Amino acid sequence: MPELMGTDGYGPSMVLVADDNEVAQRLCRRVLEKAGFGVLIASDGLQAVDLALAQNPNVILMDVAMPGMDGLEAMRQIKAARPEMRVVIASAHSMASDRERFLAAGADDVLSKPFRLGDLVAVVQKLTARPSA
Amino acid sequence: MPFRTRGLVRRATPFAGIAAVFAVAIATGAPALLAFPLFLLAVLSVALFDNSAQLIGIGIVAALAILILSITQLGPTSNLATAVFEVAVLGIVAAAVHEVVEHARLAEGSAEQKAIELESIDERLRMTLEAAMIGLGLVTASGRWVQVNEKLAAILGRGREELMQMGLLEVTSDADRGVVEDALGKLGRREIVRWEGEVAETAPDGRWIPVALAVVALGDHVSGEPLLLVQETDISARKRLDGMRDALVAVRHVIVTANSWEQAAPALLGSLCSHLDWDLAQYWSVADERHALRLRNSWFSDGSNLEDFNDPARNLSIEVGGGLVGRVWQSGVAASLDDLATNDYEQASAERHVGLRSAVAFPVVSGGTTMGVIELLGRHARHSDDDLVMLLSTAGVEIGQFIQRTETAEALRHSEADHRAIYERSPIGIARVSADGELLEGNPALLHMLEHDLDTMRSQAWPDLLRAYDQAAGRARIAPLLAGIPDQRSVHVRAATGGGRWLWLQLTATSIPDASGQLEHLLVMAEDVTTVRETQDRLAEALDSQRSANATLEKLDRTKTEFLSIVSHEFRTALTGIQGFSELIRDGGIEPEEIRAYGGYIFNDADRVNRLIGDMLDLDRMESGRMSIRLADVDINDVVTDVITRAASGSAVIVEFKADLDPRLPIVTGDRDRMVQVVSNLANNAVKYSPDGGIVTLSTRAEGGFALISVADTGLGIPPDEIGHVFERFRRVRSGAAQSIPGTGLGLTIVKQIVEMHGGKIWVESAVGHGSAFHFTIPLAAEHTAPNPLRHA
Repeated sequence: MPELMGTDGYGPSMVLVADDNEVAQRLCRRVLEKAGFGVLIASDGLQAVDLALAQNPNVILMDVAMPGMDGLEAMRQIKAARPEMRVVIASAHSMASDRERFLAAGADDVLSKPFRLGDLVAVVQKLTARPSA
Repeated sequence: MPFRTRGLVRRATPFAGIAAVFAVAIATGAPALLAFPLFLLAVLSVALFDNSAQLIGIGIVAALAILILSITQLGPTSNLATAVFEVAVLGIVAAAVHEVVEHARLAEGSAEQKAIELESIDERLRMTLEAAMIGLGLVTASGRWVQVNEKLAAILGRGREELMQMGLLEVTSDADRGVVEDALGKLGRREIVRWEGEVAETAPDGRWIPVALAVVALGDHVSGEPLLLVQETDISARKRLDGMRDALVAVRHVIVTANSWEQAAPALLGSLCSHLDWDLAQYWSVADERHALRLRNSWFSDGSNLEDFNDPARNLSIEVGGGLVGRVWQSGVAASLDDLATNDYEQASAERHVGLRSAVAFPVVSGGTTMGVIELLGRHARHSDDDLVMLLSTAGVEIGQFIQRTETAEALRHSEADHRAIYERSPIGIARVSADGELLEGNPALLHMLEHDLDTMRSQAWPDLLRAYDQAAGRARIAPLLAGIPDQRSVHVRAATGGGRWLWLQLTATSIPDASGQLEHLLVMAEDVTTVRETQDRLAEALDSQRSANATLEKLDRTKTEFLSIVSHEFRTALTGIQGFSELIRDGGIEPEEIRAYGGYIFNDADRVNRLIGDMLDLDRMESGRMSIRLADVDINDVVTDVITRAASGSAVIVEFKADLDPRLPIVTGDRDRMVQVVSNLANNAVKYSPDGGIVTLSTRAEGGFALISVADTGLGIPPDEIGHVFERFRRVRSGAAQSIPGTGLGLTIVKQIVEMHGGKIWVESAVGHGSAFHFTIPLAAEHTAPNPLRHA
C-alpha cells in the first residue's frame, strides 16, 4: 500500500519506483525513505502509468525490462500526460548505447544497475530540488 | 714416151728392112727372086704383128720394090711377069697371113676387151666402194674381212690395214657379238640372203659405236667360202638424238609418275645416264641457306665402281663458282668439260682417278631460281654439243618445276598431315558440319566423348546437340548454328552420351568459308566441361553456403550480442540487490532483523547468479557438442518417482504431485542424471507457475518406440504469442502473475537440448488459466522396443 504524501508545499517529495524485481523495490524504498522521500512502488509499466498520473510523484525511478508494458512505453505515456514529471531510467541494460537510447526516449536521467546507493539518492535529490527552494 | 718411141721404131723396122734389101739388090744386081723372100718376110712380119694400114703400106712398098727390081734387071717382059706374080704371091700371102693374124688378133682382142671391161668394173666397184658414204666391206662367213672401204675404217675408228687384220666379230661389241655371229652363220649357210640390225661396235678406245649393219650374201669367194657384203652406217648421231629424245621422254615420264623428288631422283638420274650414255649423275642441291651446294642424289650403274668417287662427294660442299658445278650454279647456264684430262678442274684428279673424263652440268631451275645442279660424268672424252646442252637445260627447267611442285605438295601434305593429326588426336571433339547442319564428320574425341559411333552420332546424338546448341545460343543471344552464321562465342549445353551419362559440353562453332567467301561448312568444337561446370556449381554452392554461413555468423553475432545483453542484464539485476543491500549493511545503522532479511536477499540473488552461470555453461557445452551423455539403460518411471519425491519435500509451494506411470514402459537408453535434470526442471517450472493447491501430474507411456513423458500443471498457462518462444533462451513468461516467478530463463532451453541429444522431441501444450503440459520423448532401448512383460508382473 503506497503511502500518500503531499507533493506540494513542504511535504516530502514523492518518488515512484517502478520495478518488477522485488528485491530492487525493497532496496529503493529502504534507501529513498531513509533519505526522506516518499516512495511509491509499481511492479510493471501499466501500474506505473496509473500511479504516476494518479499520485503525481516528483520523480519516477523507472526500470525498463518489465512484463507487460515496459518502462520506456510507460515513460512515453507519462511524459505525454505530464511533461514536467521527471523520469529516471534505472536499468540493468547498461550498454553504452542504452544510455543514449534512454535519453533520446525522453528520460531526464539514467541510472545504471547495480548502482551506488549514494548515486540513487543524489539523482533523485537533484531532480526534486525546487528552483524556488 | 719411151713406149711411143719404141712403137715407132717397131713400126718403121719393116720399111727399113725393105729399103735395105732393095738397096742391096740394086747395088749387087741380085735377081729379084732372091730379094723376094726377104720382102715377103717383112710383109709377113707386118701382117703378123701390125695393123692393116701398116700391112697395106708395107705391101705397096714391097710390091713397088719387086717391080722396080724386075724392070731394072733382066728383060723387062719376063721379069715383069715374074714380078707381077711375085707381087701377087706377096699380096695373097700378106692378105692371107693378115687375115689369119687379124682373125687371131680379133679373137685375142675380145678376150682382152673382156679383161679390160672386167678390170674397169672392178675399178668402178672399188671406186664406188671408196666413194660410198656408208662403210662397206666384204667378209667371209667367218667374219674375216676381205675388203673394207675407208669409210668403214673411219666409222670404226681404225686404219684400213689394221681393220683388215681383224674380223667383223672382233669389232662388234660384246653385247652384240652373238647376234652378228649368228647372222653370219645363217648367211654362210644360205639360210638367209640378207641380215640387218643395229649393233654397237667398238672403237679402239673401247667406245661403243652404234651402227646400222646390213650383211648381204654375195657369190663364193675363191676360197670357196661364201662372200658377204657388209654395209655399215654410223648411226651415233641418230642414236644420240634418239637418246636425247628418249632421255627427255624418260625424264618427263618420271616426273609425271613420281610423287617426290627423292622417289624420282634415282630413275631420273639413271635415265639421263643410260639414254645419254653417261656413267654417273649427281644432283647437287642448294643448301646451307643458299651458301653452298651439297650432293643430294646420285646414280651410277652397278659395277661401275664409282662408289669410291661418289660417296666422299656426299661430304663435299661446293661454293658458288667452285668447279664446273659451282660455275653452272653461278651462271645458271649449262656447261661442259669435254676432256677432263686436259682440264684443271678441281675434282679432275679424283675423276681421272676413277676414269671419268668428261662432264656436263646443267642448272635445275624453278621460277628463275637455281635450286641445284645436275652433273653428268662419263668415262669417255666427248664433246657435248649444243643440242645436248639445250636438251639438258630444258630438262633442268622441267626437273626444277617438278622439285618445286613436289616439295610444295610435300609441304602441303605435311601441313595437311599436321591438321589431320590435330583433328584425329585432339582431345577436343571436332565436328564438321554442313551448312544445313548435317554432321559430315566427327573426330575420334567427339565420338569418344559422346560414346557414339559415327552413324548413331549422325542420326541421333547430333540433331539433339544441334537443337541444344541453338537453344543455348538463343539464350546467349548468339546466332544459331542452324542459321549457318555462328560466331566464335561458346555455349554450354547439356548432352547425354550413348552410355547414358550427362555431360556439360562447351560448343564453339566456326564457319569455314569457301574460296568465294560463302559458307562452305562449319566446324563445331566440343569440349567436355562437365568437371568445370560441376566445380563451378560446387563453388557456387560453396559460395552460397558461405554466404548463408556468413549470414548465420552475422545472426549468431547478433544473437551473441543479444545474449550478452540479456545475460548482463540478468547479472546486473541480480547484482543490484546484492550490491545495494550489502552496501546498506556495510554502512551500518541497521537493525539486526533488517540485516538478516537483507542477508536473505543477497544470498538468493547470489544463488541466482550462480545458477545462471551454471546453466549458461551447461548450455554452451551442449550447443558446442562438448557435453557428453553417458548412455545406459534408464528406467524412466524410476526417474519420475525420484523427482516427485524430491520436489514434494523441497518445495515451499503447496502443490499436489500426481504420477500416472505406465508400468509396462520399457527401459530407455539415456543418461540418467540428465533425465533427472529434464524431469525436475519441468516439474519445478510446473510448481513455480502453479498456484497454491495446484496439481502437477507426471505421466509416462510407451509410444512408437519412444517413451513419452508429460508434465502437466494447472497453472497460469502460456499466452499464445509466447508459447512459440518458451524454449528460447531468457524467454521467461513475464506476463501477469508469472512475472515474479524467478528463473534463469535458460531452463527450458537446456531441457530441449538434453532431450534432443537423446534423440527425442519436446513440445508444449498450454491454455492460459488452465495450465500447461510439457511432453517429451526418449527412444526406447533397442531390445525393449517391445513391451516388457516382466515389468507387468
